[in-house]
Amino acid sequence: MRYLRLWRRFFAQAVVRETHYRAHFLTTLGVGLVQLGLGIVPTLLLFGFTSELHGWSRAEVIALVGVYQIVTGLMAAFVAPNLNRMTSYLTEGELDAVLLRPVSSQFYLTFRWINVAELTNVASGVAVLVIGLLQADVRADAGQIVQAVLLAGCGLVLLTAVWSALAYLAFWLQSVGPIGIVYTSLAEAGRYPLAFFPTAVRTFLTFAFPVAFATTYPVQALTGDLSWRYVALAATLTLLALLLTRLLWSRGLRTYASASS
Amino acid sequence: MNTLTRNLRVLRRMTAAEIAQQSIYRGSWVIFMLANIFVPVTSLLIWRTALAHGARLPVDERYVTTYFVLLGFVTMATSSWAAGFIASDIRLGTLSSWMVRPASLLLGFVANNLSEKLLKLIALVPMIGIVWWLFRESMVVPAGFGRWALFAVAVLLGAVLVFTIDILIAALAFWLDDVSALVQARVIIASVLSGAVVPLALMPSWSRGFVEFQPFRFTVSFPVEIVAGRLSGAELLLGFGLQLGYVVLAGVLARVVWAAGLRAYSAVGA
Repeated sequence: MRYLRLWRRFFAQAVVRETHYRAHFLTTLGVGLVQLGLGIVPTLLLFGFTSELHGWSRAEVIALVGVYQIVTGLMAAFVAPNLNRMTSYLTEGELDAVLLRPVSSQFYLTFRWINVAELTNVASGVAVLVIGLLQADVRADAGQIVQAVLLAGCGLVLLTAVWSALAYLAFWLQSVGPIGIVYTSLAEAGRYPLAFFPTAVRTFLTFAFPVAFATTYPVQALTGDLSWRYVALAATLTLLALLLTRLLWSRGLRTYASASS
Repeated sequence: MNTLTRNLRVLRRMTAAEIAQQSIYRGSWVIFMLANIFVPVTSLLIWRTALAHGARLPVDERYVTTYFVLLGFVTMATSSWAAGFIASDIRLGTLSSWMVRPASLLLGFVANNLSEKLLKLIALVPMIGIVWWLFRESMVVPAGFGRWALFAVAVLLGAVLVFTIDILIAALAFWLDDVSALVQARVIIASVLSGAVVPLALMPSWSRGFVEFQPFRFTVSFPVEIVAGRLSGAELLLGFGLQLGYVVLAGVLARVVWAAGLRAYSAVGA
């Protein structure tokens, strides 16, 4: 509860800061829209050569691109500005100041900074999702929507956990500057349905880098009937991932020798 | 001639120094190149799936596979990231310290480009080798040395072209304060028109004429086409002619704009 209140403060502060940089807001909006358009290009070209692929129609894949845009927007707004600072937290010794604060340092390190402008990408993603669902003539009932939201929520937590784990490697490697790029380029696979990949890659995208829970499964929940077993699996994996990240964090913290004092 | 040899000697020294400096971060180069290979491999898997399920593409599986395996190498080899740094040197006035040195102003950026690429190459080539080996059944490997030599020349010219375009954009910073939006626009436009996202051969037929003649094709797609495709002698000749033409054009433009910019430069902080 206290953390929620604290996070609301972070958010309010980020909004205030954003109003100082209106050009940044507009650039982010513009770049986001162009990137969204660009992200649909391969899909449109692909379905220019075939009308259906592995049970996915063009409209369903467009809906998937919408979900992908929402997920990347949320990650870029709430998680990326923090985990991209990991190297400087460690090498500049800023972590000292974080450890002294009377809050969970892992919470502070993962959620302190928010890039409000990225939320425009969430809005455009919602628009694309709705267009895709309308084109596919999908009528999802309440149960399906709940399933989709739960799966996407687990997917977001899972992605955050994996990215955190990658960033915590900084404890041992010192510099993990480009780790954000590795995360982003792996997440690109979430633009396409899981079914488009060979079996080995599907396993990887479900269990090792679980972007499938953030994009493919929520869309499947909306367009067809997905068993509740998938939701249970997602929840179990999420719990496991949180535990492992926590463990890695405390192991890493023990090797931290402070850079400033 | 004397100036040229001297500049080359300076360039060699500066590149060596940059390499020594950059190899401190060898771990992060490996991570960086890992990212460079994921996206083409994702595209490769998607298009192979489409082909395997009867999508009628204008190119075959061997073309698509060879294209995406080589793509990671060519996009890296022809990339340039100098514009943002040059622009900030201009804005903050740190360019002045380069101007008083007895060698070309841009040598430092050329040296940085060459040295980083060398280090990236060391990390990237083994990864490309693994992907190549995984898909060895459907790789097009041109017989003989000729095609590979042409490929190397095309990559080299492509790298020069991208670097020159980058300098051209950076030179605009003499008048505009912030060119980061322009840089971003260049990257986004180039990623589609160079064939880095989707092979240009898969572009819709109505765009064919434009796509084949626009400059960005010669930064990435053209070198890959030399190996993966079956460009005829005439097409090769036309391609190299266009590529060389664009290099000269961009070079002249960059030279003119840069020279005009230097006269407008006010050396902040001096």
